[in-house]
Amino acid sequence: MKGKYKYLLRMQLYNLCGINRLIHSRDKQEKQRSGIVAALGLFTIAILVIYTTKFSRGMAEAGISEALPTLMIVVCSLATLTLTFVKSTGVLIGLKDYDMVMSLPVNTISIVTSRITLLYLINLIISFIAILPSSIIYIVYEHPPICSYLFLVGALFLTPVIPMIISLSLGILIVAISSRSRHKNIFSLVLSTFAVLVIVFASAKTQSLDIAQIIDLGAALAEKVNRFYPPAILFTNAFMHNDWVPFVIFAAVSLLPSIAFITIVSRYYKALNTVVFSHYTKKDYRMGTLKSSSPFMALYKKELRRLSSCTIYALNSCIGIVLLFALAVIAVFLMPSVLRWQAESMRIMNIIQNIMPIALAIFVSMTSTTSASLSIEGKTRWIMCSVPTQARTVYHAKIAVNLTVILPILYVSVIFIRIAIPCSLMQTLLLFLIPTVYALFISVLGIYLNIKFPKYDWTSEYYAVKGGAISVLATIGGGMASSLTPLYLCIIFPDYQMLIMLGITFLILTATLAIYFKFCRMQLYV
Amino acid sequence: MNDVLEIRNYSKVYSGNKKAVDNLNLSVKAGEIHAFIGHNGAGKTTTIRAVVGIMDFDEGEILINGHSVKDEPVMCKSMTAYIPDNPDLYDYVTGIQYLNYMCDMFSVPAKERAPRIQKYTDALKLTDSLGDLISSYSHGMKQKLALTGAFIHSPQLLVLDEPFVGLDPEASFHLKKMMRELCDTGTAIFFSTHVLEVAEKLCDKVTIINHGKLIESGTMEEIKGSHSLEDVFMEVVENER
Repeated sequence: MKGKYKYLLRMQLYNLCGINRLIHSRDKQEKQRSGIVAALGLFTIAILVIYTTKFSRGMAEAGISEALPTLMIVVCSLATLTLTFVKSTGVLIGLKDYDMVMSLPVNTISIVTSRITLLYLINLIISFIAILPSSIIYIVYEHPPICSYLFLVGALFLTPVIPMIISLSLGILIVAISSRSRHKNIFSLVLSTFAVLVIVFASAKTQSLDIAQIIDLGAALAEKVNRFYPPAILFTNAFMHNDWVPFVIFAAVSLLPSIAFITIVSRYYKALNTVVFSHYTKKDYRMGTLKSSSPFMALYKKELRRLSSCTIYALNSCIGIVLLFALAVIAVFLMPSVLRWQAESMRIMNIIQNIMPIALAIFVSMTSTTSASLSIEGKTRWIMCSVPTQARTVYHAKIAVNLTVILPILYVSVIFIRIAIPCSLMQTLLLFLIPTVYALFISVLGIYLNIKFPKYDWTSEYYAVKGGAISVLATIGGGMASSLTPLYLCIIFPDYQMLIMLGITFLILTATLAIYFKFCRMQLYV
Repeated sequence: MNDVLEIRNYSKVYSGNKKAVDNLNLSVKAGEIHAFIGHNGAGKTTTIRAVVGIMDFDEGEILINGHSVKDEPVMCKSMTAYIPDNPDLYDYVTGIQYLNYMCDMFSVPAKERAPRIQKYTDALKLTDSLGDLISSYSHGMKQKLALTGAFIHSPQLLVLDEPFVGLDPEASFHLKKMMRELCDTGTAIFFSTHVLEVAEKLCDKVTIINHGKLIESGTMEEIKGSHSLEDVFMEVVENER
């Protein structure tokens, strides 16, 4: 079993990381592309590591370094929980290579284990980003005994396991429930979005600390976390008191459910896939009149159907705007008084009012259906390429879908935020204007990068949408850089906030137009 | 009869300087069925993809009714219907949604859509399933749906890559009949196949390609004489080795 499991995993890694292309491709451009993927991936990891290090150092210098172990476990767990959930079904069930893999002389447990191992390896990157820098800062500031180092290494490898299993279980449960419906894709999308919102609301609840708790962050965090996520406290206790018993329990509660999960999923793997691959048919169609549309509208409707048909695509590409909406709802309905009180007591209300448009732009920058919209065509791309329409009409339809996703939710969220936070007329106008410019920018950037770096040879939509798809990574990276940079500048230079925001928005708009005119000349080939 | 498809000095070089097709010349006239045969990797699909404008090429010119595929791709595509060897379709739409989408893209008048679709889907016994998602279709049903999508806009040039793969005998019979009917209305048909018996019975002209180079091209009688097409094909391929 071990040998075959290794082969299965290796084959998945070849497809995931593009290592094989880098080594074996004779195409120079393809090699360059793979090189860029690797460089961008490393760059993104480096940025996140720098951010985590700075944040941890800030906490340590503020004298609350004892909160770091709990915090890093919580951050890693929440990130793993959310990110695994949005891709949970795509890596386990309903894969395009299911028939081929299942026909091999390998037992199901090897197949399931290889798939979960791949997911675990991806999550391990999150773990290294969230835990390693904080651990080093903690060691530098607190000088813990040597055995704590072993606990930290253990935490690095064990922390992603529980949230990963929870997310996968939730994802499979949603597949099992929704598969009984004829409109299983839409049903699955609604259930999954609901689950993401539950995760966001639960996270917001754990973070709603009052001012006394903020002063004593370590104790407050421990108390909150203990209530919502006991495994983190097991680790914290082991770490703080050099106690092996809670650590062994932490390891056991991480590993035993995973073994149980793999065993159960392996047992029902065929049944689950059969349900996913089975289809509802009526075979009673009677020809009626058919409505006609322009090529653009036909493409637009097709794109909308594509988005709603694929939970993993919709969830991953729309997560930013869903989060924004959830936060806007929290701000206006659940805790407007807490929010205002916290902002006013920390004397940051004015800053919040001014930088809110850029803060909104960050969420908008995370929402790009376009960055995977060509890749997701996969083997059906011959249709897109052979229809008699300009390539730019195809691009326009894909951009229109992204704007359809972003703008209505954005404007409703802006209204909610405007109710929760008092703003001047100018600030209100900017709340609408700046995120709209970013919506245009991210839509255009996404399609441009996907034209440049398409990924058509996927076995699951997950690999087109995430799984190292360069266009998606680069779009999110570009979007985040373009929105976080002005935010950072606004905080450093509060006197020039308006100038910075308007100046950068103008630059973003110019870049949007430049990219748009550039890709409009690009043709589509298979 | 005028040339609907004209390929002049077409060459395609893949990265690594591998020449997939080398200086290919051929033409297909209106109302003519032209078979394009060759072994696996001979350059058939590469040529077909260039003809339908979905693959760029390095040298030569491809004209459809006198319009260059390179310079006027949309004009050329509007006159052409194409079905690849393994036609993956949008699994997330129903059969009728797919066909209506193709009608939208090829600007088929609204009034003519239903009768045209009915005509072809009835012949291929697909009408009852048009309301179901394509993901529920078998390979053969997808092939039939792709064929219907290609036929409904009455193309001037029909390009098919291995059209008989995956079809049941009845559908195969209807396809041949539909190809002949379409050809009789003046449509030029250019298709690749490994089924030499079908090519022999159905086609007016044939082109044999080997390692990217044209070996033989002409009317069926000119190429095969008193032999079978299979014998001729094997002989020319052996001679080229």
